[in-house]
Amino acid sequence: MIKKLLIPIFSIFILMGQMPPNIIIDENEKDIRIKPNIAGTEVVLYGAMPSGKKDIIIEVVGPARNISLEEKRRIYGFWLGLGRAEYFQVPSYYNIMSSRKLSEIADQSVFDKLRLGVTNLPLGNAKISNSNTSQNIFNKNLKKYMLDKGQFKIGENEIIVKSGPGKVGIFSTEFLLPSNSYQGKYFVRYFIFQNGEFISYAENKIDLKQAGFSRAIWLTATNFPLLYGILAVILSGSLGWLISTIFRRLKIS
Amino acid sequence: MEFYLPIAEMSINPIGFLILGIIVGTLSGTFGVGGGFLMTPLLIFLGIPPTIAVASEANHIVGSSLSGTIGHLRRKAVDIRMGNVLLAGGILGSFLGIYIFNSLKQVGLVDLLITASYFLFLTAIGLFMLYESLDSLGYFGHKKRSRYYHHSWIMGLPLKIRFKRSGLYISLIPPYIIGFIVGIFSSIMGVGGGFIIIPAMIYILRMPTNVVVGTSLYQIIFITSFVTILHASTNQSVDIILALILLLGGAIGAQIGVRLSSKLNGAWLRIALSILVLAVGLIMASELIIKPDNVIKIISGSNL
Repeated sequence: MIKKLLIPIFSIFILMGQMPPNIIIDENEKDIRIKPNIAGTEVVLYGAMPSGKKDIIIEVVGPARNISLEEKRRIYGFWLGLGRAEYFQVPSYYNIMSSRKLSEIADQSVFDKLRLGVTNLPLGNAKISNSNTSQNIFNKNLKKYMLDKGQFKIGENEIIVKSGPGKVGIFSTEFLLPSNSYQGKYFVRYFIFQNGEFISYAENKIDLKQAGFSRAIWLTATNFPLLYGILAVILSGSLGWLISTIFRRLKIS
Repeated sequence: MEFYLPIAEMSINPIGFLILGIIVGTLSGTFGVGGGFLMTPLLIFLGIPPTIAVASEANHIVGSSLSGTIGHLRRKAVDIRMGNVLLAGGILGSFLGIYIFNSLKQVGLVDLLITASYFLFLTAIGLFMLYESLDSLGYFGHKKRSRYYHHSWIMGLPLKIRFKRSGLYISLIPPYIIGFIVGIFSSIMGVGGGFIIIPAMIYILRMPTNVVVGTSLYQIIFITSFVTILHASTNQSVDIILALILLLGGAIGAQIGVRLSSKLNGAWLRIALSILVLAVGLIMASELIIKPDNVIKIISGSNL
């Protein structure tokens, strides 16, 4: 499937008989393969890049969301969560994938300049109340939390680069947007490195239109809270009734 | 295998939670208690945020109490009129409970409210059960209680009506107030309140023991339904997936428990349960006093 789609891209270079000067990706977002299933949405990214000793890093940043953090403090011997940090612009999803270990591709200072990586990911200004803790500390905790929950990911060695016809390299990678992923635009940025230096860049985006199962439940709970509550009662009640019926039947037979 | 809880926003192992449901269900089937007062603290220990544990547990109890009530209705062991009076008080109480819950949530004290309520109740119930079971083993010189005489102040109250199935002719006021108090705790703690209402029915209202559990379960269906809807519509913390997993496990456990209870020695089992209840209460309190691993945590990704 991927190969079939790549043929037009390669044929151009093969006809021209030369190395592509730059990274080539399909600009048309419809051509990024998106496959929804129960676990979430599988996304396949692929493209062509100059072959040779080059590395590629792909960064995916999802739509912004709200998150609030609580800070516990000791008051009269009790640990109470009184401090608050409210964020309004946290990427709901972040994934950085690379063809080698990030530390082997380039120095951290290079990534810092390009604003690449989890440590450089902006989280927006937080509204901090009832706390003297700096936003930096909240940011660190939030990033650790998102990494633990798998909403932020570091996928080293997850891009496969093969040498294609001529001097063209084919890269491809796939990842899963979990079923709780937010709908909206996911920005995809491609960076090519050579000998530890950044040489080429491209970007496109994925438009996630359909909510996954978990996300759909969340949306119902948030947008139609009363309906959701009634549905929750009906579901729990019917399952309870069903269970008692099944056990009664089993006892008789 | 992993399951994602959409409201708690976390991945869990469904088998583990199913087993948790079975264990608590077995206990509740064996002892005839609802199990909410054990389930909510256990969910909190497992990392479910307290507000979501409370609201989802209320949702879970809707199904489990409905399942239990059907059996009692068939045996005509439900005093529906008494249940309705308790319920009328309970609905008002749950409004007040939700109001307290949401006000304290705003200022970051809801975890304290939940933990402190649990500590107090679990300690009280644990000690009471320990006393009762030791008493029934003859440790304290048993006194026979008569159920035919009410406390004089209860007999003196107006608005008397007849509760046919319980064989009582008493005022509406005591059951209404009992219902009201249980309603408050039901919404704060995510419990049905059987552990408060059953002793109250026996010792205050002097209802016959054979209708106590059925009547309690009957009113719990409606109270927890109401509490679920209130939590869902005011703070969006009902996790339906969590509730259904627990319900499935709990139903299996309840069947095992009912069979077990006829084979085991009740008094010693009650001693074991009371020690378990006291232990859960203490662990709950220790969470407030011991420094948490991480002082900063996520409280909501969803409802700002």
